[in-house]
Amino acid sequence: MHLSRRGLLRAGLATTAVATLGGTTAGCSVPSGSTGRDMTLWYWTGGLSDKVVADARTRFTGVSLKPAQIGGYFKSKLMTTMAGRSYVPDITGLKGEDMASYLPNAGQFVDLRTLGAERLKSQYLPWKWAEGCAPDGRVVGFPIDTGPVAHYYMPAVFDRAGLPTDPADVAREMNTWDAYLDAGERLKRKVRGAYLLIDALTVYQYMLAQSTKRYVDKERHFIGDGEHVRRAWGTAIEAYQRGLCSKYQSGTPDSNAAMEKGLLPSQLGASWAAGDLKLTVPKTSGEWRVAAMPGGAANNGGSFLAITKYCREPEQAFDIIAWLLNPANQARGFTDATLFPSTPASYRLKAMRAPDPFFGGQTTIDVFGPAAQKIPVAYHSPYDYALDQVVSDELRNVNALDKNPARAWKDAMSKCRRIAEHMGVLI
Amino acid sequence: MTAVPGLGAPPAARGGTKAAAVRHKPRSVLGYWRLYLAISPFYLLFLCFGLIPVGYSLYLSFHRWDGLGTMEYAGLSQYRYLLGDAQFWHSLTNTLTIWAMATLPMLFLALVTAVMLNSAVRFKNLYRFAYFLPNVTSVVAVAIIFSSVFSTNFGLANAVLQGLGLDQVAWLNSAWGIKIAIAMLMTWQWTGYNALIFLAGLQTIPTELYEAARVDGAGPVQTFFRVTVPMMRPIILFALIVSTVTGLQSFTEPQVLLANTNNTSTFAGGPGNSGQTMVLYFFQQSFDNNDFGYGAAIAWGIFLVVALFSIINWRLVQRKDA
Repeated sequence: MHLSRRGLLRAGLATTAVATLGGTTAGCSVPSGSTGRDMTLWYWTGGLSDKVVADARTRFTGVSLKPAQIGGYFKSKLMTTMAGRSYVPDITGLKGEDMASYLPNAGQFVDLRTLGAERLKSQYLPWKWAEGCAPDGRVVGFPIDTGPVAHYYMPAVFDRAGLPTDPADVAREMNTWDAYLDAGERLKRKVRGAYLLIDALTVYQYMLAQSTKRYVDKERHFIGDGEHVRRAWGTAIEAYQRGLCSKYQSGTPDSNAAMEKGLLPSQLGASWAAGDLKLTVPKTSGEWRVAAMPGGAANNGGSFLAITKYCREPEQAFDIIAWLLNPANQARGFTDATLFPSTPASYRLKAMRAPDPFFGGQTTIDVFGPAAQKIPVAYHSPYDYALDQVVSDELRNVNALDKNPARAWKDAMSKCRRIAEHMGVLI
Repeated sequence: MTAVPGLGAPPAARGGTKAAAVRHKPRSVLGYWRLYLAISPFYLLFLCFGLIPVGYSLYLSFHRWDGLGTMEYAGLSQYRYLLGDAQFWHSLTNTLTIWAMATLPMLFLALVTAVMLNSAVRFKNLYRFAYFLPNVTSVVAVAIIFSSVFSTNFGLANAVLQGLGLDQVAWLNSAWGIKIAIAMLMTWQWTGYNALIFLAGLQTIPTELYEAARVDGAGPVQTFFRVTVPMMRPIILFALIVSTVTGLQSFTEPQVLLANTNNTSTFAGGPGNSGQTMVLYFFQQSFDNNDFGYGAAIAWGIFLVVALFSIINWRLVQRKDA
């Protein structure tokens, strides 16, 4: 076909016009994810039980529930979408570790007290409920799961090292960090190439999680140089200096192989780490047990559902959330997606008491359940994330690059103070 | 922008004598509105996704903003903080080190590859395709493969070292190992691309020059360094500029390669922040710590560094032309 210059020009103009118009209509017709009839629900893979979500779609017919699993870095996707004020989901998952970053902008979400959340409060773990509340008392996050930390171990390897093998004995004889490190010393002597800990960071993180304080207090004062941080750092350094920490990087083929060979027979991890363990070292099924962790209860992870202020039918949204996360459905979440319930009533349900063949037929809820109920209410400030990064990086420098521990502590503290000051924290 | 003769003149001007008088009048920009409209999609998209965000990031860098709350004017404090931020300078050093470690061997290898491709007789297109393939492969997939190549106990890199009777190296666990791994990944990915550019350049060198060199008794190595390299200078400089601009903005390679090796932050760039490039640091501050004001200031810091290097490169090209 012959195309004249003029024809070409006209075609070009037409295309431009169509593109421009198309752009504007696409931009304007759906200003937010909510159209009144549709209700979008954002979560990440494994963030909710897919089966429960599917049931919710058929159960709630007043709106059309549109669940979407958002891949990649969830927090940054949600924040940028909310900053853009379009296509914002009606209901969204919020990860526990990001919660403190959302709370300063609690106004972006519906205060769930206005929808009757208080009447359900007693069904949920008090510390978990508190974590979803803003300082002014607004209820932003409705509890999904929790991450009580436990001690996963391989009894066969512990036996070779002359350590206790029964969960109750392990919990009793390694109830303090000192006792735990002493056990590591035995393990190192008796089993060639074995380490108690994958890295020193594990000790630091969980000791800090056992405390009720972190880096900044409620009055915005820097407390990152306080006794609770020093003690956690000191114990982590001690574990490193006694040679109890490996130089493996978690999640690499190296560490996975070491785990399979029984060279990392003790793993401190949250309840959801059981799922990771099953995925990374399936061959060791039956060779693991779970016991209470040393030094008291701690939490790591666990998420929330929230309703954004863009939601047009918050009452409906709240009904959906409350149903998705009721004790019976939380028990299903545990079976489907290893989401450990935030509703103690679930712990007694039959679904949760099933023996787990990966753990040699142990009923793991007997360990996780009491641990979840003993977790202290802690204050998480929005500044903790950035400050923790600095301290963890320095501890990693000690563990991986053999940096001088005293030097690392000094560097961590001077960086922390500088960053804290920049963020407006009072030194 | 100059219009193509004929196309630039409005259709009416070409036909009648009446329009001849109009032609001599200096034409205003508006007279070309149809043409501007025709090419407008690019400018509109650039405006939306290029210019406005660039301007906005400058505005942002004078503020404090967590991404959702209210913005607070912060004056020059973000830039003052940037100047004293040891981690930013550390990331700059990392970037430059990795860039030098990747670009110099890469350009040399690319030139050698191009010369070999140029003289290949059989399967010419197959070779070209094979060398270009790494460049169109997803960086994420490549980085995942490289992270297992450089793993300590089971990696190919250490298997080779052990085969040669050398000690294992904890590649992704040491300051230099991390940099070498990233640099090798970048070299592997970009050698083929630059080789193709060089190949195009090689084909413009007159064969008489090579014949003359041969008559004068030059061997292949001498020909390469005395004829090929000098003749290729402008093209090498072009490749150098492009590699500088991309190399100074490396992000995906260290991010994916080192994401696994961290428990807390996927953007720390491995132990000792040894693999944290400038853009990775920028990303960490804005999207991980939600410090968008400071992130924007870092981005402008990166802009200045890239601009500086571009000017240096440009001066080199200018000197050649003079």
